[in-house]
Amino acid sequence: MIHLAKEDIRHTLGKFLVTAMGVGMLLGIVLIMMGVYRGMISDAEVLLDDLNVDLWVVQGNTLGPFAESSRVHEDLKYTVKSITAIDKSEAITFQNLQLPLADRKLAVFAIGYDIYGEINPINLDRLVEGRVLENDHYEIVVSDKTSYKLDDKIKLGRNFYKVVGITHGTVASGGDPLVYISLKDAQELQFTYTNKRIQIDRARGIINKDSHLVNAIIATIKPAYNIDEVAQDMEKWLHKSVYTRAEQKVVLTRNVVEKASKQIGLFTVILVAVATIIIALIIYTMTLEKMKEISIMKLIGLPNSTIIKMIVEETLTLGLLAFIFGNIFSHLIYDKFPKNVLLEIRDAWLLFGIVIVASIFASFIGVKKVINADPTAAIGG
Amino acid sequence: MSNNQAIKVENLNKAFGSGDAFVDVIHDANFTINKGELVALIAPSGAGKTTLLMMLGCVDKPNSGTIYLGDEKVFQDKWLTKETRKIRREKIGFIFQAHYLIPFLNIIDNLTLLPQANGVKDRESKQKARELLEYFDIAEKENAMPSQLSGGQNQRVAIARALMNNPEIILADEPTAALDMDRSTNVVKMLKKIAIEQDVAIVMVTHDDRMLEYCDKIMKIENKTVVFI
Ligand SMILES: Nc1ncnc2c1ncn2[C@@H]1O[C@H](COP(=O)(O)OP(=O)(O)OP(=O)(O)O)[C@@H](O)[C@H]1O
Ligand SMILES: [Mg+2]
Repeated sequence: MIHLAKEDIRHTLGKFLVTAMGVGMLLGIVLIMMGVYRGMISDAEVLLDDLNVDLWVVQGNTLGPFAESSRVHEDLKYTVKSITAIDKSEAITFQNLQLPLADRKLAVFAIGYDIYGEINPINLDRLVEGRVLENDHYEIVVSDKTSYKLDDKIKLGRNFYKVVGITHGTVASGGDPLVYISLKDAQELQFTYTNKRIQIDRARGIINKDSHLVNAIIATIKPAYNIDEVAQDMEKWLHKSVYTRAEQKVVLTRNVVEKASKQIGLFTVILVAVATIIIALIIYTMTLEKMKEISIMKLIGLPNSTIIKMIVEETLTLGLLAFIFGNIFSHLIYDKFPKNVLLEIRDAWLLFGIVIVASIFASFIGVKKVINADPTAAIGG
Repeated sequence: MSNNQAIKVENLNKAFGSGDAFVDVIHDANFTINKGELVALIAPSGAGKTTLLMMLGCVDKPNSGTIYLGDEKVFQDKWLTKETRKIRREKIGFIFQAHYLIPFLNIIDNLTLLPQANGVKDRESKQKARELLEYFDIAEKENAMPSQLSGGQNQRVAIARALMNNPEIILADEPTAALDMDRSTNVVKMLKKIAIEQDVAIVMVTHDDRMLEYCDKIMKIENKTVVFI
């Protein structure tokens, strides 16, 4: 059997491949975009999964520290702990910090926890060097992404912090590396003011009572209790907002991911549209270049279906090649991006489906040209 | 109706346009062409030779009249079949001034393309193509591309292509116009041989009087109608 599309592609192979590569790069970027999105979701969940707690008690009428400012008193943890259903509870802080590097500042997300407490937020599986915090003050555990080494001294606020542990794969929902400091240090950094400010406040009669604040109380419940019921009851008694881990996950991903997904979705749609237009144009010009042959084919009696099959197959081949190039391209460059890029098979399949549909659309104008072609055009009446 | 008849035309009319742009091309043409005949069609430029050929080939639609191809009435004031292309594919071979081979197909694929559309098996159509290439003395070129052949060789391939579907009728529009005297004579002799050997009716438009001696009949468009001389 003669395969018209194959023969025609072979005839214009160079041009065809170059086009496929160009479109492939666009599709590669689409895959990277999807990967960035997946990376964001995954990053958002790392922290929650590492903390591995059942309940979050946060400032009343707020969504909690991942969505908005939330302050509760540190001693609330004792109240929580006294509830029958609760197994463990701890106070915890979250804050953005700028760590000084040689030539710039590095934005990180800091978790402050009670080093004597019963919940350790550092996932030991991720601790690749050193140890967890052991002293109340001026120790820090950093993510390897920060490029700090063990025993480095980092100036934060007025003091130097010693790097005692390195973790791998710990990121905050925004993609910033995570660091861990003691609760006391965190409170000092977050809630205490400069000496000057304290002097002025005292002169005004304001006494800083904020230094025993934290951002949330986290808790685990005893087995045999229903998480949702416990959360509901606690909300009533404590006059705070209480979220289950699942609810907190929704808050976190919705907050972080919603805008990002719209943005990335929009970019993806535009890129796919551009890729479709390019495929359509190239197929159209390839068809125009063949108009004489198409006229002759129609004149000697070849059915439209034979000719349309050629056009559609060429378009699909172009789309398929571009898809393959796109995958190669995205795998070559994905780790060069500063954000976590997760290339997932399901996204590749989704794009594959989109490319096939787009290719079929792209072939329409070529096919229309074929259907309307005058069989006597080539021979000139 | 003799069963020797390949083409029969009755009261055929064709005009283009309307109003100021109206051109009456063929007016009330009546003629019959038999199987095995090589018929020359001559007339000055613009007289309607190509138009007539395209009507016989079911490409251009006449305004009125009747056309029989073989025993089948294909046109009576309208096409009697929805798929005129099927008639072309099955009954008619076309040859033009230029070869019009498909440039991205090699010679053998150019030949087997049409039979394949007719559902002929690959092996069968290839065998037929090889026989024809042998016959036209270009067997060694079956895997070459048209761009690698000379004008004369390509024209022979084009003639072979017109024969691939065992047509009852071959319509040739100035097949020798692009060839020199020797090659032209060769092509016309070849057409003559094909007409006799394959019992095909061939209508050949020509401007070259020297080709007329090989033809069985000479048909002329005169005063918008068809006459034999
Ligand atoms: N599609 C068309 N629309 C309008 N007029 C047409 C069309 N096709 C042909 N004609 C006119 O019909 C007449 C016959 O044209 P045709 O091409 O059949 O001439 P011809 O005998 O083949 O000429 P030549 O020897 O130059 O090939 C011409 O006057 C031409 O202008
Ligand atoms: Mg003409």
